[in-house]
Amino acid sequence: MDLVTVNGLSKRYGGIVALSEATFSARAGEVHALLGENGAGKSTFIQILSGAVQHDGGSILVDGQDYRPANPDAAQVRGIAAVFQELSLIPDLSVEQNIWFRHEPRTLLRTVNRAEMRRKTLALLEKYNFPVLRPDQELRRLTLAERQIVEIAKGLAKDPRILILDEATSALPAREAEWLLKLTRQLAAEGRLVIFISHRMAEVRAIADRLTIFRNGSTIAVHEANAVSDNEIVTQMIGRHLDRLYPERIATATDRIALSVKNFSSGSRLSGVDFALREGEVLGVGGLQGHGQRELFQALFGASKASGTIELWGKPVSIANPRQALIGKDGIALVPEDRRGQGLLLTKSVRENLTLSVIRRFTENGLLSRQKEAALVKEMVDFLRIKAGTPEQLAGTLSGGNQQKVIFGKMLLTQARVLLLYDPTRGVDVGTKGEIFQLMRDLAAKGYAILFHSSDMPELVHVADRVLVMRNGGVAATLEGDRISEAGILRAAMLESEAA
Amino acid sequence: MAIAEQPVEMAQRPAEMKSAKPGIDWRGRLLDRAPFLVACLMLALIVAIYGSLQSGVFSLDELNLDTAAALTLMLAATGQTIVLVRGGIDLSIGGMISLGTVIAATRFTDDPSTTALWALAILALGFLIGALNGLLISLLKLQPFLVTLATWSILNGVAMIILPTDGGSVPGWWVSFGYAQLFGLTSPVWMLLALLLFWWWFRATLVGITIQATGSNEKSAFLSGVSITRVNVITYGLSGLFAAGAALFLTTQTGAGSPTIGKDYILPSVAAAVIGGVSLFGGRGHLAGTLIGAFVLTLIGNLVFVLHVSSYWQPVASGVILLLSVLASSVAEKAARGRVQ
Repeated sequence: MDLVTVNGLSKRYGGIVALSEATFSARAGEVHALLGENGAGKSTFIQILSGAVQHDGGSILVDGQDYRPANPDAAQVRGIAAVFQELSLIPDLSVEQNIWFRHEPRTLLRTVNRAEMRRKTLALLEKYNFPVLRPDQELRRLTLAERQIVEIAKGLAKDPRILILDEATSALPAREAEWLLKLTRQLAAEGRLVIFISHRMAEVRAIADRLTIFRNGSTIAVHEANAVSDNEIVTQMIGRHLDRLYPERIATATDRIALSVKNFSSGSRLSGVDFALREGEVLGVGGLQGHGQRELFQALFGASKASGTIELWGKPVSIANPRQALIGKDGIALVPEDRRGQGLLLTKSVRENLTLSVIRRFTENGLLSRQKEAALVKEMVDFLRIKAGTPEQLAGTLSGGNQQKVIFGKMLLTQARVLLLYDPTRGVDVGTKGEIFQLMRDLAAKGYAILFHSSDMPELVHVADRVLVMRNGGVAATLEGDRISEAGILRAAMLESEAA
Repeated sequence: MAIAEQPVEMAQRPAEMKSAKPGIDWRGRLLDRAPFLVACLMLALIVAIYGSLQSGVFSLDELNLDTAAALTLMLAATGQTIVLVRGGIDLSIGGMISLGTVIAATRFTDDPSTTALWALAILALGFLIGALNGLLISLLKLQPFLVTLATWSILNGVAMIILPTDGGSVPGWWVSFGYAQLFGLTSPVWMLLALLLFWWWFRATLVGITIQATGSNEKSAFLSGVSITRVNVITYGLSGLFAAGAALFLTTQTGAGSPTIGKDYILPSVAAAVIGGVSLFGGRGHLAGTLIGAFVLTLIGNLVFVLHVSSYWQPVASGVILLLSVLASSVAEKAARGRVQ
C-alpha cells in the first residue's frame, strides 16, 4: 500500500496559483525524486507536506488516514520531517541543541538533560556515519556545508517515516554529497520513504527508484527511474523540447587581456595565483571545493584583503573594497554565492534591486529621472526574460532562477565588462540554467570577460573556454580544448604530478 | 519489496571537514564570553577604585547596601534581558513600575491578607499587560518598540490618575521586608541569588531555549514548529511580571508610590543588559552579565559621590562605560567572525 497518497492538491497565494490539482503517491522503502523547474510547485508541495503551509483544496492520505498538519509539529507527530533548503537552524544554539531543538531529553526540573543529549547526538552521528561535527560548537561558526549536514541530522533525529530532502546536496562538497546519496539509500533500505528534490540529474539517476515531475503546479508524469531517459524528463519538466542544456561553444576570445592577476594571495586560503582572462572569454575555475575558489572571487571583488598585482584592461589597479571594483566600464562585477544574503534585497522590488547600485546613472541635475530608470529596467527585464508580474514585485517573491536573473541584471547595469560568476546556477532550475549559459556565451560574444566558478563540474566542462583547476590555494593546472573533461579536472585537482 | 532487497552499501563517512576538529573550542568560547568578561573587569576596576577611596567597601554591610540600591534595576533588567534575548525591547516596564508603586501605595493596608492579595494582583497585572504587549506585537505585526512605547504612555497615564503626585504609603512591616536579614545577608542579596538560580534553571528549560532560538532566527524557529505568538506572549508577560516585582521591591525602599519613577529604569535596564554582553539583535546573552551591568551602573553613582565631583558626571560615566562595552563586544564579534570568514 502507498504510504502517501495525494489527490487534487491546490494552493493559491493571492492571485498566484502555486499548486493546482497536483497528485502524488509514494511507498515506504523507496527514494522518490520530485522534479520540476523552480516555480513548478515542488516547494509549495513539500511545505504543505511538512506543515509549514496549509493547502486550500484536495486531500492527502498518510497510511490511508487524512493528513492536514496545522504546523510543522503536527507533521512530525505523523512521522514526517523535512530538511529544508532554506535552513531551519538557529545560529546561536549549538550543533546538538539544534539537532534536538524542541525534542530535547529532559531532567526532572524540566531542563535539558545535557549528558543524555550528547549521548543521543553521538549515537545518531555514529549510526549514519555523519561527517565529523563538534556537538558543542555554535552553529554560526559552521560553514554552509556543515550547516546543511546539521540540518540533515535534525531531520533524522525525529526518526521520521517520511524524510523530505529539499536540494540537500546543493550546498555540499562532492564527498559529502556522495555520502548523502548513500545515506539516502540506507534510509530507504530501513523502510523509510525519502522524497528527494535535486536539480542534479546525475544524483536523481543514481538513487531514485521513481520520480514525479511537476510543471506549473500540476503533476505531469510519474516514472520508474530506470524506464525513462534524461531527455524525456527534461522535456516534461520544461514543457518544450530543450535541444541542448549547454549552448554551442564558439570561441570569441580576442588577444586583449581584460584581467591579469599575478602572484595574488589572500589570507591562508589563497597563495600566488597567476592567470590572465581575455576579452570575450569564459574562464572556468574548478577543483575540489575549499581550495581557494571562494577566496579568489571575494578578493578580486575587494570583499577581502589581498596582495599581488591586478591589471584591468592593461592598467594596474588596486581594489580595496567593492566600491573600487565597481568603477563603471573598466570595473569588475560579482554574482555572489549567497544570492539571498549578499546579492538581493528580498524586501525590495525588482526595480529597486536592479538600480540600487547604479542610481547615479538615472540622475539629472541631482534629481532622479524615473523615466530613464523605467526604460533601463524594462530593457533589462526583457533582455534577461525575468518573469515578474511588474518591476515592482518584491524580489523575495520570485523563484530562485528569476532572482538570479535579477542579480545578473544588477551586475550588467554597472556596465562592468569583467564579470565574476560564483556558482551562478546553484539551486536554479534546469530551464533557467540553460538560459544563463546562453547568456554567458552571448555576453562573451559581446566582448565581456567572464570568470566562472561552478560546483557542478559538467558546467565547467561544457561552458568554459579554459578551466583553471585550483589546489591548495594556487592554480594547479590550466586546461584547454580537449583536455577539459571531468576526469581532467579531477586529476589536476587531486594529483600532484599533473601540475601545468 | 524489491527495493529493500537490493544490497545497500553502508554510507561511508566522508573525510573530516576542515573546521571540525574534535575537542573543545576554547578560543571560540572565550570570544563568546568576551563582553561578559569585559563587564566583570569593569566592575572589578570600579570596586577597586571605590575601595581605595572609601574604607569599609569590602564588607557584608556594603554588599547589602549596594544590592538594595541595585535590585530594582536588576529586577527590571531581568525582564528586559529575556525580551532582548528574544530580539525585542520593552519600554512599557517604566509604566508598569510606576503603576505598581502607586497601586501599592494606595491599596496596601496594615491587614497582611489584603496587602498580600494586592501584591499578587500587581504581579498578575504585570504579567497580563506584558502578555498583551506580546499579543499586540504578534497579531498586529507591529514593532515592539512602538507597541511598548504606547503601553508605557498608557500605564503612565493610569498611574497619574490613581496618584497624581508622589505619595501614599505602604505599611511599615512591608518596608521591613526590604531589610530582613538571614545569615548576615539582607533580603535583596538573597533575591539576587534567587534571580541567578532562576536564570540557571530558566535558560535550560524548553521555554527558555525557545525564546532564545526565536530571538536568534525567528523564521528558523517557526520552521522548527515554534509558535511565535506564544513566544511573544510569554516573553513580554515575563518582562511585565519582573517589572511588577521591581515595583513591589521599590516600595520597600521608598515606602511610598510615585507615578513618574518608572522612567528611570527603562533605558538603564537596556544599558545594564548591553554592558553585560546581551545582544540587542537577539539570541545571545545571560542574566549574570546583566546583573554585573546593573552593579556597574549603580556603583558608578557611589564612585562619583566619593570622588566629590558633581553628580552630573554620573550619566557621563555611564555613557562612556556603555560605549566601551559595545566596542568590546563588536571587537570580539569581529574576531570570532574572522575565524569562520
